[in-house]
Order: sequence, then structure tokens, then C-alpha cells
Amino acid sequence: MKRANNFIERSLMGALSFLKESIFADELAARPGFLQSLDPHVKAITMFSFIIIVLFAKSMLLVMYLYVQCLLLALCSKIRLGFFLKRTWIFMPLFALFIAVPAIFSVFTPGEPLFRFQVSGIAFIITRQGISGAGLFVSRVITSVSYATLLSLTTKHFVLLKVLRVFKIPQVFVMVIGMCYRYIYLFMEIVENTYLAIKSRAGVIIRYRHGQHIVAWNIAQLWQRSYQLNEDVYSAMRSRGYSGEPVILNGVKTGKRDWFWLCYALTLVIGAVYFTYWRR
Amino acid sequence: MNNGIFELKNVHFAYLGKFPALCGIDFTVYQQDKIALIGANGSGKSTLLHLLDGLIFPGKGTIRAFGRELKEDLFNDISYSRDFRKRVGLVFQNPEVQLFCPTVKEDIVFGPLQLGMDKAIITERLERLICVLDIKDLLERPPHQLSIGEKRKVAIASTLIIDPEVLLLDEPTAGLDPLTTRHIVDLLIQEHKSGKTLIVSTHDLHIVEELADTVYVVSQEKRIVKSGKPQAILADFQLLQAHNLIHIHRHSHEDTTHAHPHLHTEHH
Ligand SMILES: Nc1ncnc2c1ncn2[C@@H]1O[C@H](COP(=O)(O)OP(=O)(O)O)[C@@H](O)[C@H]1O
Ligand SMILES: [Mg+2]
Repeated sequence: MKRANNFIERSLMGALSFLKESIFADELAARPGFLQSLDPHVKAITMFSFIIIVLFAKSMLLVMYLYVQCLLLALCSKIRLGFFLKRTWIFMPLFALFIAVPAIFSVFTPGEPLFRFQVSGIAFIITRQGISGAGLFVSRVITSVSYATLLSLTTKHFVLLKVLRVFKIPQVFVMVIGMCYRYIYLFMEIVENTYLAIKSRAGVIIRYRHGQHIVAWNIAQLWQRSYQLNEDVYSAMRSRGYSGEPVILNGVKTGKRDWFWLCYALTLVIGAVYFTYWRR
Repeated sequence: MNNGIFELKNVHFAYLGKFPALCGIDFTVYQQDKIALIGANGSGKSTLLHLLDGLIFPGKGTIRAFGRELKEDLFNDISYSRDFRKRVGLVFQNPEVQLFCPTVKEDIVFGPLQLGMDKAIITERLERLICVLDIKDLLERPPHQLSIGEKRKVAIASTLIIDPEVLLLDEPTAGLDPLTTRHIVDLLIQEHKSGKTLIVSTHDLHIVEELADTVYVVSQEKRIVKSGKPQAILADFQLLQAHNLIHIHRHSHEDTTHAHPHLHTEHH
């Protein structure tokens, strides 16, 4: 009992500092890079419009162009490419497994057969349309995730919340987004720590049911505690006058650079809409 | 001023409506009081301080602060809420919870910024606090990397910079070395002299005498069982022992063993 509690305590504290490091630590947002120098509103508008183009794009070429542009922006904003790729591709295996992989087969996407093979008497046919559909899907997801990540990496946490408020997104909604984000990371940390804890207590080979029991118990406790922790941090913010409207020290002025960037993004949007809907 | 700044009448509080944390607290705080709340772990000290800070609200009974009853919907009024937060500051028991900004500096100025204080005043107070608490080297560092003592100092700075009339401190010296404890106690005494009301929860009996004119003992039953001058309370071994604030020491000398109550008021 005692040990288990220590484990919870430790992983929660670990998770908390990890969260603070990855989300609140605005170290990247403080670097002197291109995106960091833009007015946060302009930056948010342009990033959102790129995401929207990507979501509606039908041409692989356009999506690839936007993806390359995103990587270049990351470079110009002094973000290491390796770090950026790791952060954005981490969710991909899940998407790929559940959505993209089934989609390449003829059952889901009928069309011109490309490969076929048999597994225990059932024939599988991979179609050309399936492949290109899945490819487009994956590249859309990765590109939009990359833009969202880029925005959050290069903008200070409170500034980002403030910007979302300017777009008239209701306060509750913004708070929920913040919370979800924190919970996702917390969850990843829990998975890792639970795994380690089981390993340290039961060795590598454990009976499945026993392991399952430990995991279920820990996760229930952890959710409860993390909820409490979130509450406590929120009280601490309220105690010092936070009322849901973040106030930040230095506002940024909109400059020439912002207008250029805005014009460029606008041109891109118009071009993309033209190529996607009218030219064909 | 004849009325207290805080008046609590028969206050009950239970977490989630079923875990009792305070059972019938009556207690009045006057301007420039120096109060210590002592009691074992889980006796409800933190809960009481959170109530005084308007973070939670009694299930039964009433709290009046500055002549008005504290109610949850009162804090929906931005101007009331700002005014209250400027007048009352709480240093949380767990500095881990209190510090959430990317750098120490941003954490310290978080409060006054939210409260819309003048930027020149903020900078000036920041300079002073940096000096007093000797935290200049920490300013650009992320708070979660600091040691517990450094975190405490930063947490205290982040509350003191608001310059509240009432300072609530939840175990401000727990886990600190004697020298840092000394610094913090001196700082708090200084703040009290400059006119602030001080309410400190602690089970560090060393600091009670200096930090309090009145001591309240909170029991495991989550009630105030005794109050009085620190000298009188600290001399009441039976009371302190009954509330887990001292323990019986057994010494073995050569061939005899003797026991005596052990009070941690002096170092030895
Ligand atoms: N979030 C919570 N949920 C349920 N019970 C709580 C919570 N926080 C504190 N308690 C309970 O309330 C009582 C008083 O706790 P607390 O005010 O933290 O005491 P102290 O600060 O004196 O150690 C304890 O019995 C504790 O178990
Ligand atoms: Mg406490």
C-alpha cells in the first residue's frame, strides 16, 4: 500500500514537472526566430488558414508543398528538425494503424488492384486508389498536426490562450482545451510509469491478469489525484487574481513583417481554393 | 476598528460533501493580528486557510470578510474579486502547486499582472523582493527545477509582491533548513511590523512564539480546542502531546532508561 502510494506520488510529481516542462516551458517560444517575432494574432490566423487548406486539399502536391513550408518555418524559428519531427510523428502510428492501413484494401476502397496476397484462405487486394487515398490522408493529418504544433511551440502558453480568446472562443472552451492537452501528456506518462512499476515489482514476465489488476487500480487512483492536482493549481491561480482572462507583460505590435506574411498566406489560400475547386 | 476583518461562525466544511475537514469553527481575526494555527496533519489547517482566501466556501455556517459575507457568487463580480485578491494573499502548503509559470520571474509577477497593477510598481516591488529573499540568480530558471527551499522563497515572493493586507501562510517553514527558516521568519515579522495581518499554519513549534500573539490549536476532530498566548500553549505539555505536536523521548543512558516529553522549541 505504502509503496504503491509512493509510486503514485512520484509519477504524479514527475508528470507535473514534465507537463510544466513541455507545455508551460516556453523556452522555444522565447528564442529569436521568425514565427516568434510575428504578432501572435497574425501567426494564429495564418497557421489556422494553412490547416484549413490542408484539410480540404485534394492534391497531394499542395499538401506536400505545405508540409515542406512547415518544416522550413520550423527551421527559421530555431526549432531543431529532429525534435520537431519526433514531436509531430509520435501520434502517427495510431492513425496509420486504425484508419490508413484498412483504407488501402479493396474492401474499403474499391479500385484498380495493385497487389494481392492470401492469408489463411482470404484474399486481400490492395488498390491504387486505396494507397493514394491513405497517403493523402496521412499527409493531411501530419501536416495539420505539424502546423498546430508549430503554433503552440512558438507561442507562449498564456499568449496562446489570450489569442484564442480574441477569436471569441468561449473561455470555458479554451480552458477545456488546455486541460485536455495536459491530460494527454499525463496519460502518456502514466502508461510509461505503470509499465516500469509493473516491471520492477513483478519482473518482466508477469501473468496477464495480475498486471491488468495493477494497471486498473493505479489508473483509477491516478485520475483522481491528477484531477485534484489540476484543481489545486487552478486555486493557486485564482488566489493570485486569475479570473480566466490571461494578462501578459508585453504586448506585440503588428509590424510590416506581419502584413507581408499575412498577404503571403492570403495569396496561398486563394490559390489553393482556385486550384482545388475551380480549375478542374 | 471594532469589527474583525474575518469573522467565522460555526463554519463546517466537507470535501465533496462527505469528507469532513472542518467541524464548527468559530474564530475572529482583527487587523494586524499575528495568529498561528497549530495541529496535527489532517486537522484542517489548510482547509481553513483556503476558506479564508475565498477559494472554497463553507457548507454550513458563515464567514464574513471585511464586513461582507463570503459567498461563491460574490467572486463572479470582477471588481470585488480583484479587490479581495489584492487584500488577501495565500502562500500554499505545496509550492509545487503554486508555481506554474515557465520562469521564476514570470511566476512572481503573475499575481500583480492579473490584478492589473501598475507595471512600474510591479518592477519596483520585484527588485525589493529579489533583494530581501536573495533570489536574483533564480529569476530566469524554471521554478520546478529549484530546491524545496528555493521554491518556498519564490512562492512567498509571488504572494508578497501583491502586498496584501492579510498574509495567509500554510506551513511556510516545513522542510527548510534552520537558516532559511530564520530568514523567512524575520521577513514575516518585518511584514507584520509594517502593518500586515499574519495567519500562519504550522507544526513547527520553534517559530510559533515569534510568529504569533495568539495560538489556536486545531484537533483531529477538526475543531479549535484551545486558544491562547503562545507561552501558555507551549507550556501545556499534555495538550501538545494529545495533538501530536510533541512526542515522548526515551533516552538510554548507560544502564537506565528514562522518558520525558520532548518539545522542539530549542535546538539541541
Ligand atoms: N481534496 C480533498 N478531498 C477529500 N478530503 C480532503 C481533501 N483535502 C483534505 N481533505 C481531508 O480534510 C481533512 C483536513 O485536511 P487539511 O486541511 O489538508 O489538514 P492539514 O492542513 O491540517 O494537514 C483531512 O482529514 C483530509 O483527509
Ligand atoms: Mg495542510
